[in-house]
Amino acid sequence: MMARQPAAGDRLSNLRKRFFPTPLQAALSLASLALLVTLAWKIVDWAILSAVFTAEGGPAACKAAEGACWSVIANRWRIIMFGLYPYDEQWRSALACLVVVAMIVLSCLPAFWTGKRIAAVWIVGVALFYGLMKGGVFGLRYIGEEAWGGLALTLFIFVSTCFIGFPLSIVLALLRRSELPWISRVTGLIIDSVRSLPLISILFAFAVVVPFMLPGWLQGDKLYRVIVGSALFFAAYQAEIVRGGMQGVAHGQEEAAKALGIGYWHRVSRILLPQAMRNALPATINQFVISFKETSLVIVVGFFEILASGNAAYGTGEWTFAYVEVYAFIALIYFVFVYSLSRYGAFLERRMAVGAR
Amino acid sequence: MTRTNQSETPAVLIEAMSKSYGSFKVLRDINLRVPRGEKVVVCGPSGSGKSTMIRCINRLEQHDEGRISVLGTELNDDVARIDEIRREVGMVFQHFNLFPHMTVLENCVLAPTLVRRTPRADAEAIAMRYLEKVRIPEQALKYPGQLSGGQQQRVAIARALCMQPEILLFDEPTSALDPEMINEVLDVMVTLASEGITMICVTHEMGFARRVADRVIFMDGGEIVEEGPPETFFVAPSSERTKKFLSQVLRH
Repeated sequence: MMARQPAAGDRLSNLRKRFFPTPLQAALSLASLALLVTLAWKIVDWAILSAVFTAEGGPAACKAAEGACWSVIANRWRIIMFGLYPYDEQWRSALACLVVVAMIVLSCLPAFWTGKRIAAVWIVGVALFYGLMKGGVFGLRYIGEEAWGGLALTLFIFVSTCFIGFPLSIVLALLRRSELPWISRVTGLIIDSVRSLPLISILFAFAVVVPFMLPGWLQGDKLYRVIVGSALFFAAYQAEIVRGGMQGVAHGQEEAAKALGIGYWHRVSRILLPQAMRNALPATINQFVISFKETSLVIVVGFFEILASGNAAYGTGEWTFAYVEVYAFIALIYFVFVYSLSRYGAFLERRMAVGAR
Repeated sequence: MTRTNQSETPAVLIEAMSKSYGSFKVLRDINLRVPRGEKVVVCGPSGSGKSTMIRCINRLEQHDEGRISVLGTELNDDVARIDEIRREVGMVFQHFNLFPHMTVLENCVLAPTLVRRTPRADAEAIAMRYLEKVRIPEQALKYPGQLSGGQQQRVAIARALCMQPEILLFDEPTSALDPEMINEVLDVMVTLASEGITMICVTHEMGFARRVADRVIFMDGGEIVEEGPPETFFVAPSSERTKKFLSQVLRH
């Protein structure tokens, strides 16, 4: 190891070989470098050096400055994060966000992958979330779903979509593989129909059309109908991903399990699904990432999730010039969640690679 | 069931069994009675229906006509009954079919704990006993992908034994192995044969058949063409088809 440590001169000659072998390539390398440096400088200058950070002074302080106006975030972050949620109660929404994040993190830890622990996490998590967001208990003021917004709403829609959609996708995938032709055909028809429709139209249908078809006691709040719609959409796509994973499991696996006398449900849960999910993992993480970002579509049926709240934050006359800063801030929040999800996917892949040749 | 009664019911009884894939008849009019404890070797050219026949015994394939009884229970569409029979009939496959996401020990423990409801500790003790029997207890915590083909097949035998079945079916257990690994698997099978379990074995290993089989069955074109104890089967086959097959298999 020590002997292979390249000397400084060595590294320099490598650099020259790679980027400056001919005059033309040297010129191209220099031009690209200049472009990158200029770009980086512009961004740093805009975002930090010439930016205005103080909350005081309001929009007027920004007008003079060349760079970013981060004071819009300092002034309006509560609208972005909490939407229409009553100002004095926003600490509840913040705590609820933490509860959801804790729920997601705990469910992702292999130590919690037993029936009892995962159930405990979800029951306690959902109860806490509702207690905080909706109130009406322990002296907390009642706040209906129509006033929920911002990050808490985005997280709630995402988590419930996955929580309903993921198990549903496994059921659909199994039904589509059924040996009874009428079951597999009907399931195929449902999956293909849902996939053929745009998500927006499904959200519209569940928010606006479904109430005309269902009796009042079955309608539920608009929020829950929208979640059911988006879960159905998620499940239709994810079902095909799971089915693809199942097709990658060798036929002999099922036969070996049958020959041991293992019944259908144990064959599915112990032999088929663990291997199918390992095959389907990259595409599954993809689906989760897409679903997280698609939560922003609920804006069309009047929900103020984080992106819509952001629009509202700069939409009030005085801050309209600062939309780039607001979107950059929201992009950062999306990035934190989605990037963590991707890294978690990579961790799972490494963990599941155990025993694979 | 009394003891005499039990020894009278054959391990496997196949009567007038036929099976077709569409218009192609893979099995025609198979009649076979395997008493308990018998070792039967089934041989024949590829496509002769020998694998299909033994796969019908634990209903990995469904027969169209005739009757199959295993340990006195007739196979039909009753799923509970099929599972009941499969518990008593172990199977070893050409391609091992170990569960790749589980360790060797988990492969062996899974079915006894799920199907027989054996407590985990007991199931592990049984598994270790059979892994010792197939001579690889030291691999218990490895994954199948880390083992050689011969080792994997021995694990597959141990996994089948862990259910403590009355009957073991072997479907060309050495055909997918490299030549130098065939003997380690055959040695294990010879040891098993000396212990009284009923064995039905589809194989091309004629040396194994000579040493172990009580009866050799030759199939061709979906039919049982000839059967007999190895001494007469190999020395004085009666049908032309058998003679031709043996001359091809035993040439070297």
